Amino acid sequence: MNKWRLMALLAVVALLVAACGDDDGEETTTTTAATTTTAAAFEGLSYSAPDCDYGGEFMTIEAVDELTVRFELCYPDVAFRSKVAFSAFAIHPMEHLEATGGGGDALVGNPIGTGPYMLEQWDRGNQLVMKRFDDYWGTPAIAETLVFRWSSEAAQRLVELRAGSVDGIDNVGPDDFPTVANDAALQLIERPALNIFYIGFNNNFPPLDNELVRQALAMAIDKGRIVDNFYPPGSSAAEQFLPPALPGFAPGVTWYDYDLQAARDLLADAGYPDGFDIELSYRDVVRGYLPQPAVVAQDIQAQLAQIGVNVEIVVMESGAFIDAADAGELPMHLLGWGADYPDATNFFDYHFGAGSSDQFGEQFEDITTLLTQAGSLSDQAERDVLYAQVAELIKQHVPMIPVAHGGSGLAYKADVVGAHASPLSNELFWVMDPGGRDTFVWMQNAEPIGLYCADESDGESLRACEQMNESLLAFEIGGTGTVPSLATACDANADLTEWTCTLRSGVTFHDGSTFDANDVVMSYLVQWDASHPLHVGRDGSFTYFPGLFGGFLNPPATEG
Amino acid sequence: MMGPGDLVPDPLHPEGPLPAGGPGRVDQRGETARLPETRGLWATAFRELLHKRSAKIGLFMLAVLILVAIFAPLIAPFSPTATVGIDEGIPVRSAPCIHLFGCDSSQPQHILGTDGNGRDEFSRLLYGARVSLLAGFGAVAVAVAAGTLLGLLSGFFGGRIDNVIMRIMDVLLAFPSLLLAIAIITVLGQGLINAMLAISVVTIPQYARVVRSAVLTVRENDYVAADRALGVSTGRIIWNRILPNSLTPLVVQATLGVATAVLEIAALSFLGLGVRPPTAEWGSMLAAERNQVFTAPHLVFFPGLAIMWNVLAFNLLGDGMRDALDPRLNR
Repeated sequence: MNKWRLMALLAVVALLVAACGDDDGEETTTTTAATTTTAAAFEGLSYSAPDCDYGGEFMTIEAVDELTVRFELCYPDVAFRSKVAFSAFAIHPMEHLEATGGGGDALVGNPIGTGPYMLEQWDRGNQLVMKRFDDYWGTPAIAETLVFRWSSEAAQRLVELRAGSVDGIDNVGPDDFPTVANDAALQLIERPALNIFYIGFNNNFPPLDNELVRQALAMAIDKGRIVDNFYPPGSSAAEQFLPPALPGFAPGVTWYDYDLQAARDLLADAGYPDGFDIELSYRDVVRGYLPQPAVVAQDIQAQLAQIGVNVEIVVMESGAFIDAADAGELPMHLLGWGADYPDATNFFDYHFGAGSSDQFGEQFEDITTLLTQAGSLSDQAERDVLYAQVAELIKQHVPMIPVAHGGSGLAYKADVVGAHASPLSNELFWVMDPGGRDTFVWMQNAEPIGLYCADESDGESLRACEQMNESLLAFEIGGTGTVPSLATACDANADLTEWTCTLRSGVTFHDGSTFDANDVVMSYLVQWDASHPLHVGRDGSFTYFPGLFGGFLNPPATEG
Repeated sequence: MMGPGDLVPDPLHPEGPLPAGGPGRVDQRGETARLPETRGLWATAFRELLHKRSAKIGLFMLAVLILVAIFAPLIAPFSPTATVGIDEGIPVRSAPCIHLFGCDSSQPQHILGTDGNGRDEFSRLLYGARVSLLAGFGAVAVAVAAGTLLGLLSGFFGGRIDNVIMRIMDVLLAFPSLLLAIAIITVLGQGLINAMLAISVVTIPQYARVVRSAVLTVRENDYVAADRALGVSTGRIIWNRILPNSLTPLVVQATLGVATAVLEIAALSFLGLGVRPPTAEWGSMLAAERNQVFTAPHLVFFPGLAIMWNVLAFNLLGDGMRDALDPRLNR
């Protein structure tokens, strides 16, 4: 018996050794082969749209040589640098995209990138663990392990921070600001309010189809009261859709004054002297722009009751709410927007541009025309003139009431060095030193939905992606300017229609493969070309790409 | 549910139904000797109830609740939905301020402070009693009606009907009640009425089973056999003989059931599936301020206390009634 068992064991060992040996051999040959090919001749990928009639921004993406990528655009783009720095356009290894088929759990659950952290384990529903990537091209991460945890309850986040089980938390509850600020063991860092909270109207639903009614509602909302009572320090009442810090903000344009009598008169003019009934939908999810959704919704309800408008509040699940809003099913809704990159197009075009969703009902042609025009200008001063007109038109048409630019706060343990808050909400933890400990634990509002951020739009997912993946450029830490990342520089020709990015050499991906221009082309291509076999993602919507770059190539027929 | 005093002249006890049979029938029953005892059941039970301290406390707590619910508009200093705190210029979620207890008289008085919208917490609590009681009684009433009907049919007819009904009840019981209620609301839509219905449906099996088991005992009694022998119609037997004599366990179950229903309404509202804002409801008040448990504890404490008061009232009363009624059933 024993003898047989020993024999069997030996046989297994022998087989294993043989198998490993084989593997090793194969691997070496492949690598060598690859090295030889690259050394001999780099075959750069190149992809072009047949023409610019498809409406998008890209004409050609080409890997000129191993470390140069050229983007040919259909129209000038001043914000190009900001866009390619955005985390939805991170670069993944071409081979990994191909091996995973461009989607599925293999990609969404394990996005191989070049960042200072790499994925160790995603224990869904519990935590996300990353470990330092030792072959990182830049300054290595300070803490060896980075852990993401989440809780939707502000009170719980603060309790965990004070108990010492986490090193930093997002969105301190508005009432907890003084508590955190006065606690010597904690540091409070306020995040600049680069966002907008608004009350959206869909003009397909009567009586909101009447512009006078929307204007009346706009006059009946006391924004100051909302900001004073329900927002943390650092917030301000909004006069326009754009936050004041964003280029394109028109300093002269102010919103309607709060005037109940004028609002009642306008309602009477519109044929509703006794007001009307309407549904107000929102999602009970805390965001920087809306720290207390339920309370604010009820205050708006109370305010509108004063002009006879009887509001029924409907709470919806977050995802269902967004889908219904985009599909144009919600007459009146509370939503907001945080800057992804610091340009007016990120706010205006996404919501009111020609390619915007049905969220606000029928598009306002005068606004879309101006936006298209402004988007194709390269001179910021000329654009500002147009954006000021857009701001005036928005005030006239009232597709939404801009209410507040919400400040939010992050809290860290006092001994965390390098703690910061980013106006774009992309805090980077590899530059933080958690008091010499080797693990940094971060607690945010919600679990990331997926880690392949080309197909995510949720800030909680993007922040996780940003620790592991990198784009051509990056945003400066805690700021909005762009700095070199995977590209050492991206430069344009004179009329801003052709951008050439010089890539960093000696960069390796987490899987050990070498980064080159083809990875860049492929990472963009799978997003750009909707008919590409690798255009799969998590649910295939890739919302940011058309939002930022005008549209997909070969869009599916159903998409109008 | 009526006040406790109403239990004595209970309209359902078999005093009334007797004349229905005609004059000669009373003599033939041979059951007349038991009637006075049955009639005395409720009176005796109520007397025993008053002898139990816990039941007395329960009755008192319930009386307070009912009075508060009825007279809420008279007692409440403010409207439950008016954002008075903001209009007065005091911060939202301000702490309780009672002038009598030394709060500066320049401050507006809010006995239990104001909530996140600057509404008077005390007024909201008072009005919340209305919603809780109505919803609790409503849910139980619907469940008792449906459960009694199903239990009667099932117990009296037995056989296939019994099998079908009881298996359906088993299916309902197989789900955790709150989960099933949430599922039902998901289908029906959010709102107080729907929440009540959901809780009713979930609790029907309890009542159906209680009634069925009582009916199984009652239908074997001689007076039922006598009725059958006399050719009394099935419907009349059920209504006049079976139902009144099966009610005792049901009353206890229903009283305890109100406590559960109140708690479940609060739970559903806490989850955002109950009342729609700005209606004052204890569960939703608790939910709205749960994140302020450290900065404004009064906004979590008092609604919690109110829910506890309510549940305790019905539990104490229910326990007392069970003690008062059960020995009789066993005799």
